[in-house]
Amino acid sequence: MNFRTRLLLIFTIAVVASAGVVDWQVSVSTREAFERVESQRVDVLVAQFRQEFARRRAEIALAVKRIADSDAATTIAIAPDYSEFVGEAAQLASTHGLDLLELVAADGTIISSAEWPARFGYKEDWLTAGADWKSLGAFLKREELPDGVTLSLVAVATRNVADRTLYVVGGQQLDNGFVNSLIMPAGMRVLLYRNLGAGQISELPNLESLIGETLRQKREITSTIGQGAEAEIFHSIPLPGYENNLLGVLLIGSSRRELVELEALLRRIGILVAAGGILLGIALSWWASARVTRPVRRLAESADKVAAGNWGATVEIVSRDEIGRLAGAFNRMTHELVEQRERLVQAERVAAWRELARRLAHELKNPLFPLQITVENMQRARERYPDQFDEVFREGTGTLLAELANLKQIIGRFSDFAKMPAPEMQAVNFNTLAGETLKLFEPQLAKARVTARAELDPRLPSVQADPEQMTRVLRNLILNAIDAMPEGGTLTVRTAALPAGVRVEVSDTGQGLTPEECQRLFTPYYTTKTHGTGLGLAIVQSVISDHRGRISVESQPGKGATFRIELS
Amino acid sequence: MCCVLALGASAATRPHYGGTLRVEIRESFEVPDPPQTGASLAQLPPAFAPAQWDAPRHAIYSADDKAPGGRPFLDAIEIQMDRRLADQSIDLDLGKADLVEIDATEPRRNPQARNRIWSSSPVRLLLLVFGARIEDPRIREALALAVDRTAIHNVLLQRQGEISGGLLPQWLSGYAFLFPVAQDAARARTLLAAVPPAARTLSLGVPDPALRRIADRIALNARDAGLALSAAPLNSIADLRLIEVRIESPDPSRALAQLAAALALPEPPRADSPEALYAAERALLEGFRVVPLFHLPGVYGVNPRINGGPGITPLGEWRFENLWLEPPRP
Repeated sequence: MNFRTRLLLIFTIAVVASAGVVDWQVSVSTREAFERVESQRVDVLVAQFRQEFARRRAEIALAVKRIADSDAATTIAIAPDYSEFVGEAAQLASTHGLDLLELVAADGTIISSAEWPARFGYKEDWLTAGADWKSLGAFLKREELPDGVTLSLVAVATRNVADRTLYVVGGQQLDNGFVNSLIMPAGMRVLLYRNLGAGQISELPNLESLIGETLRQKREITSTIGQGAEAEIFHSIPLPGYENNLLGVLLIGSSRRELVELEALLRRIGILVAAGGILLGIALSWWASARVTRPVRRLAESADKVAAGNWGATVEIVSRDEIGRLAGAFNRMTHELVEQRERLVQAERVAAWRELARRLAHELKNPLFPLQITVENMQRARERYPDQFDEVFREGTGTLLAELANLKQIIGRFSDFAKMPAPEMQAVNFNTLAGETLKLFEPQLAKARVTARAELDPRLPSVQADPEQMTRVLRNLILNAIDAMPEGGTLTVRTAALPAGVRVEVSDTGQGLTPEECQRLFTPYYTTKTHGTGLGLAIVQSVISDHRGRISVESQPGKGATFRIELS
Repeated sequence: MCCVLALGASAATRPHYGGTLRVEIRESFEVPDPPQTGASLAQLPPAFAPAQWDAPRHAIYSADDKAPGGRPFLDAIEIQMDRRLADQSIDLDLGKADLVEIDATEPRRNPQARNRIWSSSPVRLLLLVFGARIEDPRIREALALAVDRTAIHNVLLQRQGEISGGLLPQWLSGYAFLFPVAQDAARARTLLAAVPPAARTLSLGVPDPALRRIADRIALNARDAGLALSAAPLNSIADLRLIEVRIESPDPSRALAQLAAALALPEPPRADSPEALYAAERALLEGFRVVPLFHLPGVYGVNPRINGGPGITPLGEWRFENLWLEPPRP
C-alpha cells in the first residue's frame, strides 16, 4: 500500500468517522427532542381526556337530576300503583340521551328499567344504603344487562314528594361506543379494559402486562407497547367504582408511527447527507492526497534513481514548505554524494596505485636483491678470484635464471588478475570437484599436518559453472586454509543442496580472523600473510561474482574460519 | 239551536246503510283463498262475501244482499292484515281505521279511551310450548316453576285477563284455579341442579312481537333459576315458543279438544263431567310440554262513528252484520 493510498484511507476513515459521529449525535438529539415533545403531547391529551371525562360525568349527573326534577318523576313518585310506569324509563332515557335509566321505589324495587325492561320488581339494595348521591356525582358501576355485564358511568338522583321517595339511576355504558364518542386528536386512541371478569384482557392483546400492573398498583402508569412504527405509548388510568373497587382501566394510546416515520425520514436524510459528505470528503481526500503525495512521490522516484546508481538525480522544488525543504535537502544530498563519490574514487584510485606500487616494489625487490648480490659476487670473483670465476659464474647464472623465473611468475600473476576470462558454463558437480581438488593437495596437507575431511551431500545437484575457474576457487580456499594452520589442524570441505542451488563451505581450525580482517579480506592486494600477493581471495570473489553467486566468510578469532559459497 | 240538536241526535241513533268498515288486524293469511275457519275473517260470511283477496295483507268483503238475516247495514268491510299493534293504534287515532286490535293493557293505560273499547272474555291463551328437542321434563318443569306470572300480570298485562295454569279459562271450565300458578324459584333451581349445564341453554321463539316484553321477563325469571333463555332467531326452530291460541268454542270439552289439536297434544277423551274434563286437561299438562300462563281478552279499539255494537261476542267472534256507520257530516 503506497503512501497516497494510506493517506487516502486515513482521510476517508476520518471523514466517515466524523460524518458518523455527527449523524449519530444529530439522531440522538433529535430523538430526545421528539421524545420530550411526544411525552408533553401525551400529557396534554391525558389532561384533555380527563376534562372530557369530567364533562361527561357532569352531563350524566345533570341529565339524571333533570329527570328526577321532571313532572314525570313527580307523577311516578306519588302514584299509588307503579305498575303503570313500567315503560317509563325507556322513554325518559331516550329523551335525555341516556343508555341506562332505572326508576326505583323507596324500598329499592325497580319500577322501570330502560336497559333491562324485564327487571321491574327486582331490588336494587345498594341504592338504599344511604350514600350521599348528590355529592358523589357520576361514578362507575358494574351493570348487568340481558346480554352480559358492562361498565357504566351512572349518577343517582332522588325525588322526594311528601313522604315518598323515587330514585332515578341513569347513565351511559362505558363501552367502545362511549370511548369512540370521546373527542380525541388524530394518532390517539382510547381503549377500555373492563374489569368485569375473566376473559376481558384478551380483547386487548399486548396490553395484558400494563393492565395487570395498573390493577396491581392501582395507579396511573405509562408504558410503550410494541416496537418500531407499530409502537404506542399507553397511559393507563385506573377507574374505580363508588365503593373504590377497580372496575376498569382506561388506556390512552398515542401512536408512535408519525414520530417513528419522522425519525426514519430524518435518519434517511442524515444518511444521505452523510453519504454525500463522505463521497465529497473522499473526492477531496483523493485530490488532497494526490497534491500532498506528488512531491513525495517524485522524491521517492528520485531516491529510486539514486539507489539504481544515478546519483545525479534531483527533485523539482515546487513549494517552500516542509516538502520543498525536503526536496532541497535531497538535491543537496545527491549533489554531495556525487562529489564524495568522485573524491572517493579518486582517493581509491590513488590508494590502489600506491598499493600496487608497494606490492610491485615489494614483490620485485625480493628477487632483485639476489640478482644484485649474484652479479656483485660474479664481478668480485672475476676481479679477485679469476680461477674460481667459472664456478661462481655457473652458480651465479643459475641463481640469476631462478630469480628471473621468479620475477616472471610474479608478473604472470598480476597479468592473470588483470585478464580474468569469462566463465564457460557447464554442469558441474561440486562433490566431484571437491574430491578431486582435495586429492591434489594430499601431499601438501600431509606435510602441513592438516587432516582433510569431506562432508559431501549425496543429494547435491549439478549447477552451471566453469569447472576450471571453480577448481581455481577451491584451490585458493584450500591453500588459504593450509596457510591459516601453520601448526596443523583440520580442513573441512562441506557441500549442501539448497532449494535453488548449492552451497560449498571450506573451513579451517586456524587462528581465525578479526571482524576488520573479514571486511577487507576480499580487497585486492590485501593479505594477512607474510608472503603472497593478496590477489587470491580477490580472484575468488571475482570468479564467484562472474557466476552470479555469493561468497561470505564467517570467523571468530581463535576458532578458525569458514568460507561459504552459494551458487544457483 | 234546539232543533239542530234534535236532528243531530235523531241521525246518530237511526241505523244507516252504506259505508265501508275499515278493520286492521295483526294476523296475516298467506293462503290463496279467504279462510273458512277461525275467529275473525271466517266469521264474516254469510252476511259478507269475499270480494277481493290480496293475501296476505289486504282483503275486501262486500255485503251480501241475500244474507239469511237480511242485508247488513255496511256496504263492505276492508281489512288490512299484518299490521303492528302500534300502527293500528295510530291509524285509529288518525281516523284511518274504524276497528283495530289493541294491547290488552291499553284500557288501563288510557282510561279516556275506554268508551271506545270492545273486549271479549279471556279467550286468548298465552302459553309456552316446548319443542320435541327438550326431552328432559326437569327443564320444562323448572321453567314452569320459574315464571313469575303475578309480576307479569300486574305490570306487563296491567292485570288484564287472568293468570292461569290450565288450558281452559276459569270462566269456561270452573276449575282452572286448581292448576298451580305460583312461582317457586327454589324448586326450579333444585330441579336444574341435576341437569347438565349444556342442557340449560334454551332458545325461545316469540312469533308475535307484542309478546316480546313478556318473553324477556320469562327469560329473566329463567335466568334466576339457572336457565339461559335466549331469543331464537326468526325462521329458526326454537327449543320453546311463547304463543297465543284462541279458544273458539263455548263448550269446555270441545274447546279443550280444539286447544289440544292446535298445540299438537294428544286428543283428550270426551268428557261428560267436570271431573273428567279436569282429568283430561291435567293429563294434557303432565310432562309440561305446554305451560299455560294467562288467559287474555280480545280487545278492540273502535272508532266512535261505529254504531250498533259491540261487534264481537264474548268468545271474540266478529259480528259485523248489525254495525252501521254514521254518515259523514255535511
